[in-house]
Amino acid sequence: MTRRRVVVFVIIGFLALGAGAAMWRSIRQPAPDPARQLGAGLRCPACQGESVADSRSPMAAAMRDVIAAQVAAGRSPEQIRDWFVQRYGPEVLATPQPRGVGLLLWVVPAIVLAGGLGLALRARRRRTRPRTPATMVDAGSRRGAERTWNLAALCLIALVVGVALAGPRLAEEQPRAAPSAAADLALARSLEQQGRYAAAVELYRDVLRRRPDDQLRLRLAFALIRAGEAPEAARVAEQVLAVRPDDPDTLLMLGLARREAGSPLARETLRRFLNRAPEHSAATEIRRLLEAEGPPR
Amino acid sequence: MNGVLRRFLWPAVALLAVGALALTLLVALRSPPDAVGEPVTVASGTTAPALTGRTLAGADFDLTALRGQIVLVNVFASWCEPCRTELPLLVDAERRWSGRGLRVVGLDVRDGPDAARALLDETGAGTLTVVADPRGDTAVSWGVRGVPESFLVDRDGRVRQRAQGAITAAWLERWLPPLLAP
Amino acid sequence: MSGQSVIGQLGTAALAVGLVCAVAATLLWLRVAQRAPAACGPSPSSPARRHARIATIATLAAAALTCAALEWALLRHDFGVRFVAENGGRDVPLYYTITSLWAALDGSLLLWLLILGSYAGLLGRAVPSHARQLHPWAMTVVSAVLVFFFALTYFAANPFRAVQPTPADGPGPNPLLQQHPAMGLHPPLLYAGYIGLVIPFAYAVAALLAGSSGDQWLRAVRRWTLVAWALLTAGIALGAWWSYAVLGWGGYWAWDPVENASLLPWLTATAFLHSALAQRRRAIFAGWNIALACASFLLVLLGTFLTRSGAVASVHAFTQSPLGPMLLGFVLLLTVAVIALVGWRAERLAPGEPIGAPLCRESAFLGNAVLLTTLTAVVLTGTVFPLVAQAVTGTRAAVGPPYFNRAAVPVAIAVLVLMAVGPLLRWRADTPAALARRLIVPAGAGLGTVAAVGLLSRPGPAALAAFGCAAFILAGAIPARRSRATSPRRSREYAHGSISDRVNTSLIDDEVLDRRGPAGGLRAIARRAGGAAQTLVVRRRAYGGRVAHAGIALVAAGVAASSAYPSATEQEIGVGDTITVHGVSARLVAVERRSGDAGMWVRVRLALVRDGRPAGAAAPELRYHPAREMTVSVPAIRSAPARDIYATLIAVAPDGRRATLRLAVNPLIGLIWAGAAITALGGLLAVGRRSGSRGTRVDAPPGGSPEHDEPPLPARAGSGA
Repeated sequence: MTRRRVVVFVIIGFLALGAGAAMWRSIRQPAPDPARQLGAGLRCPACQGESVADSRSPMAAAMRDVIAAQVAAGRSPEQIRDWFVQRYGPEVLATPQPRGVGLLLWVVPAIVLAGGLGLALRARRRRTRPRTPATMVDAGSRRGAERTWNLAALCLIALVVGVALAGPRLAEEQPRAAPSAAADLALARSLEQQGRYAAAVELYRDVLRRRPDDQLRLRLAFALIRAGEAPEAARVAEQVLAVRPDDPDTLLMLGLARREAGSPLARETLRRFLNRAPEHSAATEIRRLLEAEGPPR
Repeated sequence: MNGVLRRFLWPAVALLAVGALALTLLVALRSPPDAVGEPVTVASGTTAPALTGRTLAGADFDLTALRGQIVLVNVFASWCEPCRTELPLLVDAERRWSGRGLRVVGLDVRDGPDAARALLDETGAGTLTVVADPRGDTAVSWGVRGVPESFLVDRDGRVRQRAQGAITAAWLERWLPPLLAP
Repeated sequence: MSGQSVIGQLGTAALAVGLVCAVAATLLWLRVAQRAPAACGPSPSSPARRHARIATIATLAAAALTCAALEWALLRHDFGVRFVAENGGRDVPLYYTITSLWAALDGSLLLWLLILGSYAGLLGRAVPSHARQLHPWAMTVVSAVLVFFFALTYFAANPFRAVQPTPADGPGPNPLLQQHPAMGLHPPLLYAGYIGLVIPFAYAVAALLAGSSGDQWLRAVRRWTLVAWALLTAGIALGAWWSYAVLGWGGYWAWDPVENASLLPWLTATAFLHSALAQRRRAIFAGWNIALACASFLLVLLGTFLTRSGAVASVHAFTQSPLGPMLLGFVLLLTVAVIALVGWRAERLAPGEPIGAPLCRESAFLGNAVLLTTLTAVVLTGTVFPLVAQAVTGTRAAVGPPYFNRAAVPVAIAVLVLMAVGPLLRWRADTPAALARRLIVPAGAGLGTVAAVGLLSRPGPAALAAFGCAAFILAGAIPARRSRATSPRRSREYAHGSISDRVNTSLIDDEVLDRRGPAGGLRAIARRAGGAAQTLVVRRRAYGGRVAHAGIALVAAGVAASSAYPSATEQEIGVGDTITVHGVSARLVAVERRSGDAGMWVRVRLALVRDGRPAGAAAPELRYHPAREMTVSVPAIRSAPARDIYATLIAVAPDGRRATLRLAVNPLIGLIWAGAAITALGGLLAVGRRSGSRGTRVDAPPGGSPEHDEPPLPARAGSGA
């Protein structure tokens, strides 16, 4: 029996020694990659909730390069962090610094831990005392019950009325924002498919006001042509062409618009399109169109 | 006394904590979301960081050489869609205000020179002075958050305004003339 | 078509009917509660109760009808209905059309209503015999919550509103929600878990309202809480799996606000399950129980507010909606009400008996409650902090994984240590020597694991501790049978042990069976061999806890391994080139492009080689969805028990000859999913029928020897783990 116990002790001691050594080795190991660790502690300013180390955004890549260069230059992690805070503000830190409001992050859990431990200790020390017998609430008189019931009904109705009044008001206050552009675009596209071009034009204009974009302008131009407003379409396409000279899609749209509007410039524009992009998916069709109208004079 | 305290102290503390949390959450909820389409503009007053390097045209560039002029530094790249709409505006601005001391400098971030030149040609901004920043370290030292971003540097070499997101003609109208006034 | 379509009108009408029925149900249940004779409560079949039950069933029917109407509208592509116009799409596959009911806020509220209504309907029928007078109060609370959510849906987020003009097609649900079949399971499971926590909340409030200071309400909610907890566990794990398999960043948990919001009630519910268990032994947890049960549901609501209001930025969050302020208002209303009630009944919640000996299982349970509450505080503070910082300083600070890793991981490891030691402690009092004997094998396993892993590799102290704890817990959960039963020393120990001592070692109570001397042990083994399944059924409550602990240990090991030995590389390579990481290499075979009606995709074909042997093929993709203007990266995962090979396509060069790839090897990540499944299973196993009249019958194993039968003990001390 005693021998057995000695053996067990030796084994446990041996294991504990090994575990201690392993733990010591783990704690003592140098930070594997200081640059990566620094990157993980910085927030990518161009992204949502991603660290510089994880983000794929080019700015984050640039920041990683800068971190690597500064680490290679022998600057300490604190210095590098400060350098970034100086330029990007304290928001760049993935964990707020433990000062000011940032202190809350550590103080609140500490208070909860202390409070919990206090309660637990109290539970240990508390004297036994007679427990209140498990009585039910006195049902009270019928009148009392009636009154509570009425009160509860009133509260419930107040809750419903409150939600009813606040709901629409809050909904107005916060108009639907970001995703509506995509939804509107889908709607506009489906309107075009239904042949309701005028409605689609309105929708495209609405989206364009919120988010200027040349591709979208071209789509607007196409919808305008189909809605029978070719001169307007040509104006839109010209605007885009001013920004993107010689862009094949724009030239195509401008040419079509001018052709539809009966402009003499149409042929020349479409030729320019064919010269720029002879491989374009619409090129064959346009070539056919131009040939059908006869040779250029 | 002790009983009363025990009975009311803890609920009162708990209610206070809940109330404080609720108040801050409400304040946070009330703060308006960022306006769509307008760049986020931040006033600044710090000395502009160094901006040196080789331009796409092959010349050496140093921002300090432009002291005494108003410089609009625009950070862009060919991989950034909104930059495309912004570049013609910059060319216009330089044409319009150069007589009053405005210089426009583009900083081309993490980009190949060919792609950047193609973008400039496409948008008719071939005349713009553009400093290449292939590794992006200059942009990072300027604290650039994303592309495009623009900085207005005054005659004393201090950053006066910075705008995150594509700037508009209205933005230039608003912030440039006060700086250009001698 | 004037205004709404028929389906839209039907749905709106059903919502209105549901609202009215919920109000009626609340008032009717309140009437039942008030008519309750103080002593025993009304009979389960009084007319008043029947009326109230009918109102509850009608509410459930209305909720089911609204869900059916919206589902029907989605399937019919009725784009005149707002929700369908915003989330439906003609080229969305049938499965994802069905799941798009919960792919956006308004529809998910209908699912919420349906689940809440189902719980109300089930709870309305289940009148606990020992807490009959609490039942109508609890039903009143559940019905009031239903009223709020019906009102919220009807007035602020009615998905049936008409759209003018009617579009011909919709954008379809968010592409991220169309990538993985888990979409059909994860939200309903998570919701079922969330909403199930309304029942402990309702009974806790009922106990406060009725002034019942006993533990009847705990017995009434035990099984409900276990089911909700198991569902929540499964839901959270599925969410992590979905994140791992869809988002393509290679991780499964990012301390994102939405993930945190699901973790918060899980933590408090876990603490509640344990403290409720202990309360039935010793009346020291009365206050803890009320607080934890209420906190769990309030945190569910708070999490819903945080994620549905757009208040916190998150990849998962639904967009900003008017629901935020109202949810916040409701959470506050309930919180204030609960605090006021607790203050009012404070006298009855004061702990009754002290814990005598410092070394006993009660102490472990107390420590567990304190630590889990602290963990909740850490996660909650980190989640809410950006809002607080914005309100105070005006700038929106971020709280990222580094904070949670630094603050939460040490607490979590302390919880693991308690998990390892706690179940080996005895109730009421334990001696260090006896404990040491019980600890020797598990502790040896834990230390050995730490030594072996730590000396062979360097995973970092936290991961090393987690490995050690996992081994400790697993070794403690698997009882050593034969050696103990045949050891003469143990039989002597048994002979001296008191009967109550024997009964009190509940989580390790099959040791009870073993310590019966050589003959008894053999008999026990024979009996076990004959009726292993029967034993599992009889003892499933004890086994449930053990299985759940083993599951958590596996999760801890998986999390530690996958975060301690990460290896990933990102590189741009050409066709025919190879990217290598940690013994795994992937050769880029081809780049394929295709475009169709539903968008375009680019796929790269990879040939994988591990340690010189072919390890199959992988084909990560990039999909572009024009309707949402979104590009989604679909990772390719080759799973094996020891490691996952995880390939993500990041970009493809315009010429189609080069591609940027991320290749990662994630060791032991499968342990997380397996462990979570085992944990949830353990929770379900523990849903044994113990309480009430039938419980005693099941408790006594048929054919048990007299020495095995439990003596008639007071109810509280007699119940198992």
